[in-house]
Amino acid sequence: MSHAEHHISSIKMLSIVFGGLVFLTVATVLTAQLDLGGLNVPLAMAIAVTKASLVVVIFMALKWDNKVNAVIFGIGLLFVAVFISFTLLDTLFRGDLSNTTEGTIQDQTLEEEALKSREPDAAALEFNQIPQ
Amino acid sequence: MANAHSDHPAHLQHHFVSSEQQFDAAKMGMWLFLVTEILLFSGMFVAYIVYRTWHPEVFAHSAELLDPFMGGLNTIVLLASSFTVALGIHYAQKDNKKGLVINLILTFLFALTFLVVKYFEYTAKFEHGVFPGAAFDPHGVSHGVDYALYNIPYARQFFSIYFVMTGIHGFHVLVGMGLFTWITIRALKGEFSSAYYTPVENCGLYWHLVDIIWIFLFPLLYLI
Amino acid sequence: MSESASGTINYLNHDKSIKSWLLTLDHKRIGIMYLIAVSLAFLAGGILAILVRIELMAPGETIMSADAYNQSFTLHAVLMIFTFIIPAVPAVMGNFVLPLQIGAKDVAFPRLNLASFYIYVLGAVIAMAALLVGRIDGGWTFYTPYSTSVGDGILFVTTGVFVMGFSSILTGLNFIVTVHKMRAPGLTWNRLPLFIWSIYATAIVQVLATPVIGITMLLLFLEKFMHIGIFDPALGGDPVLFQHFFWFYSHPAVYIMILPAFGIISDLMGTFSRHQVSGYKFVALSSVAIAFLGFLVWGHHMFVSGQSATSSVVFSLITYLIGIPTGVKVINWVSTMYRGSVQLKTPMLYAIAFLFTFSIGGFTGIMLGVLAIDIHLHDTYFVVAHFHYVMMGGNVIAALGGLHYWWPKITGKMFNEKLGKIAAGLVFFGFNLTFFPQFIMGAQGMPRRYYDYLPEFQGYHLLSTYGSWVLAAGLFLILGYLLASLINGKKAGLNPWGALTLEWTHTTTPPHPHNFLETPIVTRGAYDFHLAKELFATGEEVSEVVTSTH
Repeated sequence: MSHAEHHISSIKMLSIVFGGLVFLTVATVLTAQLDLGGLNVPLAMAIAVTKASLVVVIFMALKWDNKVNAVIFGIGLLFVAVFISFTLLDTLFRGDLSNTTEGTIQDQTLEEEALKSREPDAAALEFNQIPQ
Repeated sequence: MANAHSDHPAHLQHHFVSSEQQFDAAKMGMWLFLVTEILLFSGMFVAYIVYRTWHPEVFAHSAELLDPFMGGLNTIVLLASSFTVALGIHYAQKDNKKGLVINLILTFLFALTFLVVKYFEYTAKFEHGVFPGAAFDPHGVSHGVDYALYNIPYARQFFSIYFVMTGIHGFHVLVGMGLFTWITIRALKGEFSSAYYTPVENCGLYWHLVDIIWIFLFPLLYLI
Repeated sequence: MSESASGTINYLNHDKSIKSWLLTLDHKRIGIMYLIAVSLAFLAGGILAILVRIELMAPGETIMSADAYNQSFTLHAVLMIFTFIIPAVPAVMGNFVLPLQIGAKDVAFPRLNLASFYIYVLGAVIAMAALLVGRIDGGWTFYTPYSTSVGDGILFVTTGVFVMGFSSILTGLNFIVTVHKMRAPGLTWNRLPLFIWSIYATAIVQVLATPVIGITMLLLFLEKFMHIGIFDPALGGDPVLFQHFFWFYSHPAVYIMILPAFGIISDLMGTFSRHQVSGYKFVALSSVAIAFLGFLVWGHHMFVSGQSATSSVVFSLITYLIGIPTGVKVINWVSTMYRGSVQLKTPMLYAIAFLFTFSIGGFTGIMLGVLAIDIHLHDTYFVVAHFHYVMMGGNVIAALGGLHYWWPKITGKMFNEKLGKIAAGLVFFGFNLTFFPQFIMGAQGMPRRYYDYLPEFQGYHLLSTYGSWVLAAGLFLILGYLLASLINGKKAGLNPWGALTLEWTHTTTPPHPHNFLETPIVTRGAYDFHLAKELFATGEEVSEVVTSTH
């Protein structure tokens, strides 16, 4: 029987990684309190990705695992990316031919209510309605 | 290959040729399962991203209602449980039954802590009418926060996503606790050794994934 | 049944108790249980289809109310898609054949395999309970906000689909690991039968896509009962987002339905042409390419939904790309027949029928992927016809070919070849008569799912309905002679078709409970007929084979 040795992670390395994860958690909470403008979101996500990578590579031992498992994991992430990006391709560009009304039904209802509160007269409301 | 039946450890199932083949197959199956879990959660992440890109200011405003201290605490609790699982596998590989059992129990307790904290978070929200769905109606004042200020259009979407995401995640934590109970009992019976610890390894992988999901949920929902 | 084995032990006769069937971990028996369950689902869905066709024989009410009609076509689709066609080939033939073709004793996780069967049964029963509760009439796509605003029947259907999703995931997961870890020594990836390649590609799609239908059904459920406002426009949600979620699964699901069919056709083409399948590597990898591209085109279902034009254009372009790997397959199959020596046995008749029906389905698919044409054809009978040419003309005809091909292996009995050919003819003729008129009336503007229609469409509808009867007659004929073969069929030889894959060359008919008495050692590719003359020494068609290969 072939008996490839399983990798055994040392307690020292696991502890260091755990320390790093706790440090990054504290760091992300603290940096979130600062106003970094547009940088807040990318920074928080960068920290999250770093933490997740540490867990996958060291705790889940993907680094020493059979390559096929890493490929499987990578394919999973690839299809999450496909799901997100192709959906955004629609939602970020919705109405790009100006062939749909802007906003949702709820937006239109809200707008109508706002108009109503300003001008209770139904006839005037009809007059005021902006065809959008 | 030829000696498939001659030396036959108790854990080896008949249709496998060797323990190594069985271990590799089980682990590959687990990774595939993890991928299905990732894609299950991906639906929620898509919903989050779509609504966030549509209503960024509503999401940023609504996130203020969630307590980053509680979320941060829970993050560290889950990280600690991931650490203990990794230690447990280390001890299983070193044939240290005591180390394995202690770490499995610790993991279970961390998972429990996580759910207790989550329970307090949920009830604090429910008291002020922050529910998922139709019952969403923030009201009242506590700790200087006027909940009524959060009753704005599309806040419902944020909190629906929050409750569904953390709810599904919490369900996975619960399942994990069940798994660790089962694994602990088997470990106490002495079923695991450096020659066979596949269930420990696979439960560990599952648990790390639950941790990873939370690593992303925490900043998305609480911080940004 | 046991007499057929002439005293030798096989998987059917080694233990005949009911319990040994219901709790079996044997992939072959699980495959047969799937065959029975899936056939019942096909029967139920088929009866609904016949009723729908009868209702459409004339404008206005014919045999049922508009309400009953809406429920019938919805349930027809739900049953056919989720309980029949998705599990049909992978779970029935995949289960039975996959471990045999790769020389394994079983799949990697036999207990998981049995569990996935019972999960499937549970899901199917829940979905069918919707029949009793009624009120699911919005089509199988469950589009919001209609689906969240009417009736509670949707509760059962979504739960059923959710549960069956687990079954599909577990089957896919099991097959991937089995193909990776359980192949016999010498069976390299380049020697795998093409059926294995396509089942493998299918399994990848099952694992990657099915979880998303799980979360979609869960969100739909929460939308309906808690009004979480993700999909319901009245609450600020976005119904088009639901369509993204739904089609992220359901478009790849179309490839869960068609990829295994490609695999069967490749095996049939190789075996009955007595020739190496042309462009083996291209045919194998095109399955994987289709599986991958299948994830990138879901938006072509949504051209008129109000999604952004940007995404419509991208989805449309990628849709054209799918034609490439599909074309690679069709051309290689034709080339295999051209270079080989074709034996017109019943299974091969289905393979040839498939070339016609699937090609029509495929080409009309490309047409529908063209943005401008789709605006005109969307939601017409053209789409219905296209879909059925791919699903029935593709999957079902291939599945029938596969069923006839492996029937002797499964049961140890030969069916009546003459009746088989007649039935194949009836199915092919009935199928085309049913669905070809739908292309024409769709192009002329007959909308799908309508209860009533303009009188000028009646001629086409009548042809279509008559066709459905011919088709049904063909299918019942098949059922009849297959069941009859169990009782008085001729005993099947070891390798009645002269095939080269392991399930024919290295085990008994029907197979031994543990598949192989000793692990096969593979030394050649699955269709290397030129290397394999010696194997036919025991086959029935030795003279034919030897003279026809070169």
